[in-house]
Amino acid sequence: MTPIQMTFSTMFLLGLMGLTFHRTHLLSALLCLETLMLSLFLATSLWALQLSTINIACVPMLLLAFSACEASSGLALVVATAGTHGSDHMQNLNLLQC
Amino acid sequence: MNPYLLIVLLTSLGLGTALTLSSTHWLLAWLGLEVGTLAILPLMAQRHHPRATEAATKYFIVQATAAATLLFAAFNNAWLQGHSDIQHMSHPLFTSMITLALLLKLGLAPMHTWMPQVIQGVSLNTGLIVSTWQKIAPFILLLQIKQIHPPLLTIIGLASILIGGWGGLNQTQLRKILAYSSIAHLGWILLILQHSTALATYALLIYIFMTSATFITLKKCKATTINMLTTTWTKAPTITLVAPLMLLSLGGLPPLSGFAPKWFILQELTQLNFIPHASIAAMAALLSLSYYLRLSYSITLSLSPNNLPECLQWRVNYPISTPLSSALPAALALTLFLLPLTPSALTLII
Repeated sequence: MTPIQMTFSTMFLLGLMGLTFHRTHLLSALLCLETLMLSLFLATSLWALQLSTINIACVPMLLLAFSACEASSGLALVVATAGTHGSDHMQNLNLLQC
Repeated sequence: MNPYLLIVLLTSLGLGTALTLSSTHWLLAWLGLEVGTLAILPLMAQRHHPRATEAATKYFIVQATAAATLLFAAFNNAWLQGHSDIQHMSHPLFTSMITLALLLKLGLAPMHTWMPQVIQGVSLNTGLIVSTWQKIAPFILLLQIKQIHPPLLTIIGLASILIGGWGGLNQTQLRKILAYSSIAHLGWILLILQHSTALATYALLIYIFMTSATFITLKKCKATTINMLTTTWTKAPTITLVAPLMLLSLGGLPPLSGFAPKWFILQELTQLNFIPHASIAAMAALLSLSYYLRLSYSITLSLSPNNLPECLQWRVNYPISTPLSSALPAALALTLFLLPLTPSALTLII
């Protein structure tokens, strides 16, 4: 595995672990989601630089656009959670337990 | 909700699934999945109730994580392989990672914990969309991947059937029961996925009909717990007559349509010599059947102890007629009477 691949794989895995082992705040989970998307953006940008085809250079931009939409809807949900639950603490999201 | 907004959101939902279904490149498949997720979030969170917001948040985080993992594994596989075709993946690690991400999106064991909570928190109509329409796109992607580790899908399928059966036993909330029934049915579909794609598609289709009929019936009775189902006989006697048959079709009893997928799945597994898998699946179906029977008992087979004014409804309160309830006769007919047409249906799909 090349050093580049190792770097962005490590970045992705660290963000994924941060997302799954979230502790207190919903906002930190969203930050880790952004880390995942940023690592994918880096990966596709470096990939587009290495290959000689121009066709693939649109992939990072599409990824960025959709991850921005996703992040904004996540933030809207944080605002809604702060409005209904009072804060964005994860331990308050316990109304729907089995 | 504003009708223009509703039209835009429902169109985006359809567009998302259509994008995924028509894609051969992983980027476009991911795009379709993301559009579907983004479109359903306002539908889930439209009531400003804490439960709805919590359900929307949990759904969003789960689906976003699964989509990001899917894209990561797809790009890694494309880097190593040279092309980003869905149908020609070859790296074992990344194929398994993509499979696990898609199974997280579908809500199969052991990644199923979000599903009862999300379907409980949203309204019945939105729960219907999450249970039926949102399963189509990940399922189609799963069909197209060549599985490197066959035991993975088999183990997860059997675990889903067992967990779907056991999890629903202690529930009184109807939406949680339907969520566990959804987990169990998707487990059955997963068992046969790698052996016969036609049977998996047929099982998914019948599951969609049965689940739609159930959700629409519950919406008509305005019932969300088992207690609320007991007064159905005063409001809608026809539903009281037909609902047990619908629930038994979900349980997979002949001569109703729900029997056909289970029958053919067991037959295919037996022909391929997977006898322990078929036995465990058949016996775990009994667990699901017990809570379907409990529901039909409370609807039809018992009269809850109530006083006379409650039985004679002088203030007539007919079940509300929503746009969705006009689909109830069609969904019910497909749920109950499709078994004799099974051979022709299978030839159409194969």
